[in-house]
Amino acid sequence: MKPYGFLAVPRCDSALPAKIRGSRARALPDRALVNCQYSSATFSTGERKRRPHGDRKSCEMGLQLRQTFEAAILTQLHPRSQIDIYVQVLQADGGTYAACVNAATLAVLDAGIPMRDFVCACSAGFVDGTALADLSHVEEAAGGPQLALALLPASGQIALLEMDARLHEDHLERVLEAAAQAARDVHTLLDLVVRQHVREASILLGD
Amino acid sequence: MRSRLRFHPDFGTAAIMAPPVRYCIPGERLCNLEEGSPGSGTYTRHGYIFSSLAGCLMKSSENGALPVVSVMRETESQLLPDVGAIVTCKVSSINSRFAKVHILYVGSTPLKNSFRGTIRKEDVRATEKDKVEIYKSFRPGDIVLAKVISLGDAQSNYLLTTAENELGVVVAHSESGVQISQLSWCLRRRGFMPQRGREPR
Repeated sequence: MKPYGFLAVPRCDSALPAKIRGSRARALPDRALVNCQYSSATFSTGERKRRPHGDRKSCEMGLQLRQTFEAAILTQLHPRSQIDIYVQVLQADGGTYAACVNAATLAVLDAGIPMRDFVCACSAGFVDGTALADLSHVEEAAGGPQLALALLPASGQIALLEMDARLHEDHLERVLEAAAQAARDVHTLLDLVVRQHVREASILLGD
Repeated sequence: MRSRLRFHPDFGTAAIMAPPVRYCIPGERLCNLEEGSPGSGTYTRHGYIFSSLAGCLMKSSENGALPVVSVMRETESQLLPDVGAIVTCKVSSINSRFAKVHILYVGSTPLKNSFRGTIRKEDVRATEKDKVEIYKSFRPGDIVLAKVISLGDAQSNYLLTTAENELGVVVAHSESGVQISQLSWCLRRRGFMPQRGREPR
């Protein structure tokens, strides 16, 4: 089946296309099943990757994406069906989870699947007493704590918050706020772009 | 106000005045629950109506009741064939046991993406089901009117039937490309050249 929504996002840091496919595999009787798959191209990182998908990181990323989108998509409106989201990273330079979430949000929107809100994500870290937002690969590899935040901007609800490495609780508030502010900035940008796209599309279709 | 000339096939060209359109995105707060009732493309939260799709806001004012607030996408939402729906399909491949078809229309609405369907040998007609020969009933390229009997399994092939009077092959072409009309279950006559006689289907 052809995908319903398709988005190719060129970004200076990470570039990735996201696809949505609807299918009728009846899974849950009262709501839709959201299935996410993450894969990264072999040429996406500095060293060539042997296994583009199926490895532990891809599975974990797929699970995180699924949790994020189950929180945002109104699954009750599509019982007994499955929403597949395929994300492939073409160029990874840090913040891949955030880039995946942002791209997949636009793809879900393009496919016409009803969502509670946009999902905007950003990563943040803490280096030398400063909270940094949107870490690059070099900053991530430095070994400091990294936080990944996926936000529903209109209501301020958090869809996913994930952190590895240790961070003192006194600093958590600042790092969280840095990530949240960056996510809100992403939302402002997406808002503008989507409205323009909808306006252009409806003018083209003469409706 | 924006006016646009539109061509309607029955009424000819007419100018339609459209009110200014408001575009909304998912998560945008549209109005209070007291000012409108939620329609398609919206959801309610804390006494407010929010949009759940990216599209145009439509308010349909009904007499007496609250206006229904809904968000329409610029493209129509995909119409799915439901059980019992009459569909128009084109035969893509045939087998001794079934015919595979592409579903093109649901009712009179064309589909943007065609779905796959299967017409099994026992669903071709209502009587003498075991004597059906698919090769004599269908040919790739035929246009068939069928009814959906099942949504199908995980391979997402709709199950269709033509075992009713109004269903079956409606348009077909003979080997030489001439359009033919139906005489009986498996005999057809070539349309415009009756002197050529009947050809077995």
